[in-house]
Amino acid sequence: MSEQIAELIEFDIRGQICPSTLLTALREVNSHRSALKTGRVQLAIMTDNRDSTATIPDSVRNMGYAVTVKKTQDHYRILIGK
Amino acid sequence: MLSTATLYVISVSLLLGGTAGFVMHRSDFCIAGVFRDLFLFRQAFMLRILLLLIFASMILFELARHFGILRDYPYLWIAPASFSNIIGAFLFGIGMVLAGGCVVGTLYKMGSGNLLSLYAFGGLLFGSVLYAEIHPLWTSLFAQTLVFSGLATLPQLLDVDPTVPVLLVALLVSALWAGVLRGLPWTRGAAAEGYLQPWKAALFLALIGLLSYVFVGMPLGITTAYTKLGAMVEQLFFPQHVAGLSYLSAQPIHYLPPFSDLTLIGGAGPHFDAVAIIQYPLIVGIVLGSAFSAIRLGEFRVHLRAPRRQIVSVIAGGVMMGLACRMTPGCNVWHLLGGLPIFSLQAVFYLIGLLPGAWVGSRILQKIVVR
Repeated sequence: MSEQIAELIEFDIRGQICPSTLLTALREVNSHRSALKTGRVQLAIMTDNRDSTATIPDSVRNMGYAVTVKKTQDHYRILIGK
Repeated sequence: MLSTATLYVISVSLLLGGTAGFVMHRSDFCIAGVFRDLFLFRQAFMLRILLLLIFASMILFELARHFGILRDYPYLWIAPASFSNIIGAFLFGIGMVLAGGCVVGTLYKMGSGNLLSLYAFGGLLFGSVLYAEIHPLWTSLFAQTLVFSGLATLPQLLDVDPTVPVLLVALLVSALWAGVLRGLPWTRGAAAEGYLQPWKAALFLALIGLLSYVFVGMPLGITTAYTKLGAMVEQLFFPQHVAGLSYLSAQPIHYLPPFSDLTLIGGAGPHFDAVAIIQYPLIVGIVLGSAFSAIRLGEFRVHLRAPRRQIVSVIAGGVMMGLACRMTPGCNVWHLLGGLPIFSLQAVFYLIGLLPGAWVGSRILQKIVVR
């Protein structure tokens, strides 16, 4: 990998109203569009919303970004990047 | 000492509620989310799943009727349509989006440890008893705007056998399946542990609805119990006021459980009666079923921090839903999963009000609550 990740921006949406997780993900992906495309930024979203583990990857992949979802203890960590 | 009929109804309701709660948690089956996501994100995946659920319920109810399994048709407690239903459903639509879940969604989310849903539950109880204050006025409006001569279903109105509209809808669905629905996805790639695909959950819920109809006498419904529970709390503080409210003192419901010859009475007031034995176990079952699922997955966790705007939103949404549940009367689960499958006219009116309500709720949520 030639480029390094400059910044990991984390959002803790656990315990919030539906669909905060998806709204936050879409808003932040849009506002960090160019930095995400070049790999300078990655977004990490912590959520306890099971539905988001389907809706966020669906939406964000359609926008051309890579997404991984991992379960960490009692919640899910959704990583969005280049 | 509880009678055998009472114990029977409590056991069946608890079992059905528990199964529904488990299924809903596994697939995160949020009916409020179906409409909200349609308006907010133009996502129709869960709308297709909801239509599958309604269609499957329609087929199951009709087969059960055809083979004589249903003692009552239409089911117990079905009511005629009135234009006032549309107003109630509109308010419900706003409320369910602002509360982050409908009356049933609130329960399964609460069961998995969601504190905001507990606040919404409190709002629901408050809104439900608030209705008792306007009941005489609302009853009058209901009577004045009653339509279709008080008939409850479309087959009754058209004086045709229910098989006729069922076959017509089945033909329509077949055409849609071969046409616009062709090639659209019915599964989603969720990464959640123990995830149950929503189409499977829909079929489970249709089966649970049928079992409720056969063994309890009606589809799933829980909202009168919210008023009852709220009235029990209110009675602790204002016993004289509660005793003076006509809506809470009346016991107009006569309930004959299937396979029983003992008629029970009930109402919305703070008494342990027919409504309590049907709906309390359903409520408890949904919460426990969901909690069981969340604990099994290691996902039960209460998060105390939530933005203040969201706390206000869920409480306000809960109050609106509680009030609307009695104005309609009934909730989205009662009307969409119970009423629509047998062509209840009130359920059709309900849908007409619910859609614009959910749209308004989605706008408020996006512009004010989650910013």
